[in-house]
Amino acid sequence: MLNLESLRFPRYELPASLDALRQEVRAFLDTALTRYSPLVRSNTWDGFDPDFSRELGARGWLGMSLPKTYGGHGRSALERYVIVEETLAAGAPVGFHWIADRQSGPVVARYGTQAQKEKIIPGIAAGEICFCIGMSEPNSGSDLASVRTRADRVADGWLVNGTKIWTTNAHRADYMIALLRTDSSADSKHRGLSQFLIDLKATPGITARPIKDLAGRGHFNEVSFQDARLPADALLGQEGEGWKQVIAELAFERSGPERYLSCFVLLSRLVDALGPQASPAALAKVGAEVAWAVTLRNMSLSVAGMLNEGRDPGLQASVVKDLGCQFEQRLPGLAQELVGLEPMLADNGNDYQQVLGNLMLLAPSFSLRGGTLEILRGIIARGLGVR
Amino acid sequence: MNELQNILEESVSRLFAERVDRAFLARCEDGEWPAELWSLASEQGLTHVLASEAAGGMNAGWAEAFIVVRACGRYAVPLPVPEQLLALWLVERAGISAPSGLIALLPTVVDAAATGHYTLDVPRVPWGRAAQFFVGVTSDQQIALFDTQHASVTPAQNLAREPRDTVHLHAASPVALGACAVNPHAIRWLGALLRAGQIAGAAAACLELSVKYTSDRVQFGRPLSQFQAIQNHLAEIAGAMASVDTMARAAFLALDARGLASLGDDSASFEIAAAKCRASDAVELLTRLSHQVHGAIGFTYEYDLQFLTRRLWSWRAEFGTSGEWGEHLGRAATAIGGDGLWAQVTR
Repeated sequence: MLNLESLRFPRYELPASLDALRQEVRAFLDTALTRYSPLVRSNTWDGFDPDFSRELGARGWLGMSLPKTYGGHGRSALERYVIVEETLAAGAPVGFHWIADRQSGPVVARYGTQAQKEKIIPGIAAGEICFCIGMSEPNSGSDLASVRTRADRVADGWLVNGTKIWTTNAHRADYMIALLRTDSSADSKHRGLSQFLIDLKATPGITARPIKDLAGRGHFNEVSFQDARLPADALLGQEGEGWKQVIAELAFERSGPERYLSCFVLLSRLVDALGPQASPAALAKVGAEVAWAVTLRNMSLSVAGMLNEGRDPGLQASVVKDLGCQFEQRLPGLAQELVGLEPMLADNGNDYQQVLGNLMLLAPSFSLRGGTLEILRGIIARGLGVR
Repeated sequence: MNELQNILEESVSRLFAERVDRAFLARCEDGEWPAELWSLASEQGLTHVLASEAAGGMNAGWAEAFIVVRACGRYAVPLPVPEQLLALWLVERAGISAPSGLIALLPTVVDAAATGHYTLDVPRVPWGRAAQFFVGVTSDQQIALFDTQHASVTPAQNLAREPRDTVHLHAASPVALGACAVNPHAIRWLGALLRAGQIAGAAAACLELSVKYTSDRVQFGRPLSQFQAIQNHLAEIAGAMASVDTMARAAFLALDARGLASLGDDSASFEIAAAKCRASDAVELLTRLSHQVHGAIGFTYEYDLQFLTRRLWSWRAEFGTSGEWGEHLGRAATAIGGDGLWAQVTR
């Protein structure tokens, strides 16, 4: 029986005490982002600038909700939410710290040993450590539990063999949190998996081969492990509990405001390109997307509020990501249609055309990364009680 | 939700779930005025949610009004409960003591002729034929209340056969007139808000029916809901419903927080426009996919879905289409400019 309550997005308002933080971030971004072109600002969480990440870290705006004991800031997840939505909406290049701040840090804080936390968390909070995620494999995409890359116990640690793929930033990251098979004899594919914290710079036997995306950009990789030796203390969390840990990690990945904010810069530029003198039909179309932006913001905030109250908004988060990526994928087509300009590559056309071209080429990934649209629809169907 | 809201949600759902069924709806569509349910709804205070205690109301806010309005949509209630609730709010804000009886909303701005009398034809008045009074807003921000003495009604309907009559005022004088700091188009704005809330309710009912039907109906040896194609449709209906519900609630709450005193930055107009735009926009998907998963049975009068979908098709146009409210938002956004848009979204 369908329970409509499970689909409710209770109204959530951020405490007024966060207004000051928001204004502070906006003021900082107003100045800090002037050095980037509109094209660069349209990359948002694919934009990569270690200097910018260090600046955010220096202001105490990374690792915000990680424990103070280990070098985090011990502030609330809501404060982090404000930082994240402000940086994304403004088109800040957040890619260097993105994965570390969003999920690797919280995973280490939750499952890591004292030594792991002491070693990792200060660097994440400072914006000095870049993480990647070793989940997908050549034969293991949406069916994540079928991973085959193995970590075999040896005398002084673990021996890793296999291949990860679509690993964003693996060629330039400091660490990977990988999901590896530690017991091939387990009776279910969900068992016998474990997570590892891998120092990519200090581990021989790991090769990252960049895979060019459709636009010729190199951000994701195929990563091969050939007898890569990990120390015993590379194990992250409990041996054999990798699946459970990964599901919790994916919840971090699916619930944030990035699920509707990777294209906001384009909506802003579209609004400016049209201006108040645009035709009523064009205003109506852009207005309908403005309505979506306000709606998605309310929904996203509701999810943040539920997380903050210790509830599990897994279903609502999937709904936001589903609707959010549809919104983001509509925008490039609309921005072309209403303004009537051809999308262009860098160094061609004007700023608007370059932003449009960049996002048009990026948009197919919106409904693939972090759980495909089809996987999300399956989660929603399960929430409706029909799966 | 707080305790009052929980109690309200439970009591309003119980009342409508018990009384509003297919036979009842069919009788109302044939022209019967459901006097008994109207009395019950009034006695339970559903029409008086926004009225002060002195005026015999609950003295609650738009957050509570949302619960009642959404329930009216969910159960396809063939009564002007949302309209009455708004009419009583307007009348009281103008310092007019509320008369007893049904007060119909005049959706367009009403203005007097040079003689001081009102001679107007106002189309699409919800339940105009059943009204004892009519309420309108003048362009100089007055609330005008008329009785039926100098009024006549030409019946008309919407797709759901809800009365949407043309009201003719013949040199009428208001029985009461009071100044009120609202926008002259307040009834169009607040009517749009009501319809957004009702669409949220009907969307929820469409989802419920669709999940239930596809779970019960077996084809090829398994329930329809086990097919991925059907699950995909259901997930899309759920997403559309959730988006409408969230935005409608946000708009009702914005009215509690900021009011509709003007159409400037300080009013809830941005959220109301977004709510009606989103709600009207969602109707296409909601109705198309709900009918799709129901197959032929959903296309019949004997099955409940059509009571909802015909309302959705009418409500999406009433008090402004998605295009009208989208244009309003587009105008607001382009006036603010791209760099200020995010601040507007997060205000």
